[in-house]
Amino acid sequence: MAKGRELIGRIKTTENTRKITRTMEMVAASKMKRASDRVTAARPYAKALSEVISSLYNEDLAERFPLLRQLTSEKRAAVVLLTANRGLCGGFNANLIKEARHTVAELEARGVQVDLHVVGRKGIGYFRYVGRDMASQRTDITDKPTAADAASLVDTLMADFISGAIDAVYVVHSQFHSVLSAPPHTDRVLPVSAPARSGAGRDYLLYPSADAILTELLPSYVRNAVYRALVETAAAEQAARRTAMKSATDNAGDMLHLLRRTYNRARQANITQEIAEIVGGAAALQG
Amino acid sequence: MLKVSVVSPEATLFEGEATSVVAPAFDGEVGILLNHAPMITVLGQGTLRVEGATPARFTVSGGFVQVVDNQVRVVTEQASRA
Repeated sequence: MAKGRELIGRIKTTENTRKITRTMEMVAASKMKRASDRVTAARPYAKALSEVISSLYNEDLAERFPLLRQLTSEKRAAVVLLTANRGLCGGFNANLIKEARHTVAELEARGVQVDLHVVGRKGIGYFRYVGRDMASQRTDITDKPTAADAASLVDTLMADFISGAIDAVYVVHSQFHSVLSAPPHTDRVLPVSAPARSGAGRDYLLYPSADAILTELLPSYVRNAVYRALVETAAAEQAARRTAMKSATDNAGDMLHLLRRTYNRARQANITQEIAEIVGGAAALQG
Repeated sequence: MLKVSVVSPEATLFEGEATSVVAPAFDGEVGILLNHAPMITVLGQGTLRVEGATPARFTVSGGFVQVVDNQVRVVTEQASRA
């Protein structure tokens, strides 16, 4: 029964693999829950910030703030790509990398010089493999990104933007709409496009002045845009991993089913054959 | 009653009613009572005090306070309960 032994081995390995994928699925599910809670928790701040900025914003002010400076032509831009540090999450990283390549190609076609900043081991690994120079690489952002992570990521870019060294900053990240839908997306965080004014503006008492308030808030707004990209990407990663591991577990189940049936069929065939041999032998002796 | 909320990028730290709010504005403390005129002011560094049935204190740094229709919104990049 050589075939039977082999099948038993395969059944065992499939069972073990299924155990691992099932555990990963459950871990990702619980991490995803917490990550999507963080996405929700980040909303009130973003809402408050964009409401106030839109109520203070007007075209005259835009001229005076470097962060609002709209450009007629871009010469040099920074693209920040957010990817995961770990794999086994389906097409998640591949989709983000594809989106980033798309964005970079589009910018370069317009004659823009692109600095590529990559976050996450998977993205770094890819661009190192294709031999593209990266302006910066970071792997220290965990699956619980903080506002401080966002600040450290974007503050240098903001300084470069103000000094005029770069003309735009794009962030490639995942939008976390829901568990099933988290498409990759490119957002332009700099120059800031002022949020659309919602409703009639109120007459506020402004201390010290509209200018001073905007000076304070615009950097916060940019940092918050990056923070949101980070938390959404983290949540999307866990969602993608959960989905991938769920289908891996399901597939392992199907495979086990098939293997067990093949094994039992072989076992039964073997027994039938043995009986036939015994009966045949007995008949020969009697004959 | 004033409706007060304290939000940071990561979480909403406080949401509830209060009789008064004392916030560390950029140039000194500012007290907010019922029926305050609509106002936006930049925050400095210091302690934010929410007084009322559920008093609370926070250490804040940067951000702003928005007051409109008896709603007080404290929006700050760094805040922690003190």
